[in-house]
Amino acid sequence: MQADGSETPKRRKDRPLEGVRVVDFTWVRAGPWAARWLATLGAEVIKVEWPENMDMLRQNRFTVPPGVEPGPNSTGQFADTNAGKLGLSINVRHPKGLEAIKSLVSVSDVVIENFSSRIMTRWGLGYDELTKLRPDVVYVSMAGFGQTGRQHYFGTMGPAAQALSGLTHQSGLPGQQPAGWGWSYLDDTGGMYGAMCTLTALRHRNQTGQGQHVDLSQMITGITLTGAAFLDKSINSRESRREGYPPGNRTVWPGAPVVHNYRGPIAAPHNAFRTQQTHDGGYNDWCVIACLSDEEWTSLVGLMGGPDWAKASKYVTLEGRLEHQNEMDQGIEQWTKTIGKYDLADKCQAAGVRAMPVQSSEDRIENDPQLRHRGMFTKVNHPMLGDWKFQGAPFRLDGAKVAVKGPPPMIGEHTTKIMGDLLGVSSYELLQGYEDGVYWPETTPKFPYVQQAIDEEAKR
Amino acid sequence: MTSGNKLAGPLTGLRVLELTSEHAQFCGKLMADLGADVIKVEPPGGQETRNVGPFLEDEAHPERSLYFWHYNTSKRGVTLDLNLPDGQDIFRKLSATAGLVLESFPAGYLSDLGLGYESLAKDNPGLIMCSVTPFGQDGPWRDYQTSDLLHLAAGGQMASSGYDVEDIPDAPPIAPGGGNAWHIVSHYSYIAIMGALYHRDFTGEGQYIDVSVHEACSLTTEGAIAIYLSTGEVVRRHTGRHASADMSPGIQHATNDGGYINTTRSGSNLTPARIKVLGEWMDGYGLAQDLLDEKYQDPAVVEVSGQHFADVLKNFFANMPLVEAYEGGQELNFPWGAIRTMEEIMGDPHLQDRDFFVPVEHPELGREFIYPGPAAIYNASPWSISRRAPLIGEHNQEIFGDELGLPQADLEGLKSSGVI
Repeated sequence: MQADGSETPKRRKDRPLEGVRVVDFTWVRAGPWAARWLATLGAEVIKVEWPENMDMLRQNRFTVPPGVEPGPNSTGQFADTNAGKLGLSINVRHPKGLEAIKSLVSVSDVVIENFSSRIMTRWGLGYDELTKLRPDVVYVSMAGFGQTGRQHYFGTMGPAAQALSGLTHQSGLPGQQPAGWGWSYLDDTGGMYGAMCTLTALRHRNQTGQGQHVDLSQMITGITLTGAAFLDKSINSRESRREGYPPGNRTVWPGAPVVHNYRGPIAAPHNAFRTQQTHDGGYNDWCVIACLSDEEWTSLVGLMGGPDWAKASKYVTLEGRLEHQNEMDQGIEQWTKTIGKYDLADKCQAAGVRAMPVQSSEDRIENDPQLRHRGMFTKVNHPMLGDWKFQGAPFRLDGAKVAVKGPPPMIGEHTTKIMGDLLGVSSYELLQGYEDGVYWPETTPKFPYVQQAIDEEAKR
Repeated sequence: MTSGNKLAGPLTGLRVLELTSEHAQFCGKLMADLGADVIKVEPPGGQETRNVGPFLEDEAHPERSLYFWHYNTSKRGVTLDLNLPDGQDIFRKLSATAGLVLESFPAGYLSDLGLGYESLAKDNPGLIMCSVTPFGQDGPWRDYQTSDLLHLAAGGQMASSGYDVEDIPDAPPIAPGGGNAWHIVSHYSYIAIMGALYHRDFTGEGQYIDVSVHEACSLTTEGAIAIYLSTGEVVRRHTGRHASADMSPGIQHATNDGGYINTTRSGSNLTPARIKVLGEWMDGYGLAQDLLDEKYQDPAVVEVSGQHFADVLKNFFANMPLVEAYEGGQELNFPWGAIRTMEEIMGDPHLQDRDFFVPVEHPELGREFIYPGPAAIYNASPWSISRRAPLIGEHNQEIFGDELGLPQADLEGLKSSGVI
């Protein structure tokens, strides 16, 4: 019997992990994002929470829509990050709570957590302990610095992990402080790796019958993403602090020595250009253009109407375009400023010139014809947020769109179902647990749905 | 070659045919480092990604691209011209031995050659094919030409990355470097493939996976989408920190040795108790200013003093070397990060403890180079680099001859006719 009420595990191509049960101890972003993808692929993901130490995203006041009563079940950012999971509220530091969690693990395939290093072990929920209950458990830990190594106890959040990994230094204008990444890229990416490690270890278990502990470091995932820069240093001894690096949006900064700056092939033009202003002072009215060959440049010149400046021989070769980038980019911008960014990209693409609009979040949701065509966002009803748009998967499995499995859990929403239906805890014991502060803190007011679940148990 | 591990990687037994350029070669590398038998199928003469720098000692040559080296570790390599009937024939034979074909040709290209999923799966029903294209297999932008920069524009990375207007008034949106559009899509491709493998483990059925770089990038801007959906507001770009609809104190500060430190969010964890910890530490340097004042023991005062704390921190860091500031903060449980360059990352003792710096042998050069190793330690089936990237056609004999059993005479003929 599954906690969601279905009888037997079944595997469909678009939800291949149906039948896999995940005990999800993660919080904030990277860990929950990992488990979100396991849920989207069909796993039964049980999010373990405790209202006195709430997931930070449940407290994110920036994403509570106007008119919605603020609270832990009302934030848009938590909703998308935890879509399709079940919610269990339980105090693992209460002996009865610990016992219940252990019995849950004994019927689960995966344990995933992103606490600071070694916290789970301190709670009696470390890998060695849990293998006694479930010898083939796949146990994925996602600490910032990992579980081993002399600085394992160092804490990170996305921006710090990005800084330490070398990713931040790769982003910005030369001679300025780094611009870095305008969000926790390594929380998104750390989440990807959490999911990847889990799936990889499940594959190994399917092949060998053997579970394992995967000790992932969020910060180190970022270093692997700087591979070309890493080898340029370890092999060529290239200085990272050098003239013209990082080269903004270009491949080579004007006037700086022509070296490879980890932007793919050296090319010019290769930049962002202002386009016709629409609204908001033109804040996101930008388009990028990259000419990866002389032919593409020739096509761009034609598209611009063949102005005299652009036909000058100094721009015919890549070397010439690199040398005269500033002038060239100014000339191009005189033209792009007269055209809307979508029109401009369409015109360029029709002429074989690589161009795309810089898209804001609003653009991607409201204006992007491709994402609309592919059905990137799916409305799912959420008890607090109403019909809410959730981000789907960037892949189709055998032609099928893969949308989220359902809304996120309200805190503790499925506690009685999981404890009762799945683990066979009696109504009497459940009620006792609520009274003892095992399933809900004694001093925290109960949400109506929590009280309702308790009342239903009392009637049994 | 380089691994002292006796255990096999978790993907051992999976054969992958990789026909990808920059789009998804990183996905192939991850699978190869995790034990899959990844065979990179390149056109005769080698793939275009071999022409991307940096190059060994700055000498441009298809066998000296460090970019290619990084993204193709642990793979074997063959050359094959898929436009020729003999090449297609060999590819069909090879795909009958594979569990996965990973490809990034333009939508429809392989089908037009008669090598689409339907055709290849006829002889191999368990086959999984994963196609990675800029926009997926359909839609109005399907045939648009792109690059890493273009994806970071359309995907929303640039709209979130850049500088505060106060720092640089005319700064453009910034596309972070390093080829991350390809990383992002490689991660999602990997996840989709593992899901398909799980399905196959229980049913024996393969399937076709259609991955879009654009959708993968569009999914990777954390809160920007949720903020718009919740409030209708579009985020502003801020130097070194989260793009947000509101203003917030700066968190990136210069140190006295030319470095920068990132404090994640200046208000983060700053309760009265934490202010006291911070103040006492800074007082040791005579730089606490008023942080030890009693008024900061009132949470309401702390709540509205974010800009002041940022100013005090800025002054403190301006008098400290980078590593001392960052490690000192971490020892007191402040989750700060030094903005490191490769100079600081190379030889980092913590990374050494985790065997992150992996020597990889290049026998043809008689040299050994240090590569970035695993981000995760698997205790039963290691993630490890097993060999350097393949030379052009390095395993033609081994794979076409020894494993597929093509007669030697045929191989010679295929070579002279330019098929391999």
